[in-house]
Amino acid sequence: MASLRDIRKHIASVKSIKQITYAMKMVAAARIKRAQNSILASRPFAVEMDRLIGDLYCELGEEDLAGTPAQKLFCERPAGGPLCLVLVTADKGLCGSFNTNLLKAAAAWLKENRGRKICAVAVGRKGRDFLKRLKGLDLEIVHEMVGIFPKAGYVHAQLLTDAVLKLYGERPVEKVTLIYNEFKSMVTQQIVTDQLLPIKGHVLACGAKGALSADFDFEPRKADLLGALLPRHLGAQLYRTLLESQAAELAARMSAMEAASKNASELIDGLTLKMNKTRQAMITTELNEIVSGAEALGG
Amino acid sequence: MDKKRLLLTIVTPEKTILTDHPVDFVTIPAEGGEMGVLPGHAPQVAQLREGIMHYRDGHHKEVFAVLNGFAEIYRDRVLVLAEAAELAKEVSEERARQAYQQAKQTLAMRGADMDLDEATASLRRAAVRMKVAEFRRKHKM
Repeated sequence: MASLRDIRKHIASVKSIKQITYAMKMVAAARIKRAQNSILASRPFAVEMDRLIGDLYCELGEEDLAGTPAQKLFCERPAGGPLCLVLVTADKGLCGSFNTNLLKAAAAWLKENRGRKICAVAVGRKGRDFLKRLKGLDLEIVHEMVGIFPKAGYVHAQLLTDAVLKLYGERPVEKVTLIYNEFKSMVTQQIVTDQLLPIKGHVLACGAKGALSADFDFEPRKADLLGALLPRHLGAQLYRTLLESQAAELAARMSAMEAASKNASELIDGLTLKMNKTRQAMITTELNEIVSGAEALGG
Repeated sequence: MDKKRLLLTIVTPEKTILTDHPVDFVTIPAEGGEMGVLPGHAPQVAQLREGIMHYRDGHHKEVFAVLNGFAEIYRDRVLVLAEAAELAKEVSEERARQAYQQAKQTLAMRGADMDLDEATASLRRAAVRMKVAEFRRKHKM
């Protein structure tokens, strides 16, 4: 049986842990507001960009496009080349199953593509460490980016885009897959596996305005313009990914820390009860001794 | 009085700076050189390089620094999609220069690879800011 002093010590340590988890929850809650706002703020840019690309694509004929750098980004590549994986995780733990689920999804993807050469781009420390730990796979970490959360900016997305495009240009990569957590709501995150390159057709669907814009002037040539626009489009897409992942991480951390604080409270309640019981037992024993002592003397 | 005006919209990935702001005149740093836009301009899509754009709204003038992007002019609406845009008034030359130096140093050290991305990014930002501040000094604005 634990002594009174041991229990008191235990309570004190649980209390200080609770303080820490509670503080972490509050920090995540304060940051999540900002993260959500930046998701909202990034939307108009992405929408306008998609529209512009759609319009431009409609203007272009096949012959304009042939042999330009822009065309390389959306024509399918022959199968058999290496695959590229962009894995977006968090830098830190203590956010529930956020990283675990992501790494599980990544492991499943890797299993599916067993035997292929894989080039990986890791965002976030957890993902990088996971990819480094893997053995027996033909895997190479081409680019890594750690320590950008929770202050991910467009510049980071841009650097990431440059790295991915460089990889895509230099090697015969078949396709680039993106795995990240999407922010669905404060309590749920959803793992998304998406194809980043080659760019899928639906992005390039003609907008309703397509017919109206027939008399546009272009500077420089249309194909060059599209070639310059598409990397920006990728940048905007990756930026959104980073922001979603950031918000999802904060939400996951918030709920994990809330649960931890609740558990700590319950633990403290249980321990306090135990402490009081022990104390009462001690008092009862002492009283018993006194009474029996007095009886022995008086008798 | 009913003069024709341009509606200027500037969006960057990080925020929307102006939405349908009525202006009289805009210049944008297009790839082939500075381009002035007045109401009634022909529809056009242009690529921008990093540089300075300004607009005039009555007697009020404003200068922006923009960093790579695109402009679309269509029916008296000017839409600027820039990777970054900043009001020139908010740019401090001294701070930009400091940031530039610091970023260069961090890049030179290379020891802490953790901050490498961050440093490259801030180097880019600082370079554009310095350019704007220089422009402002030249034109006494």
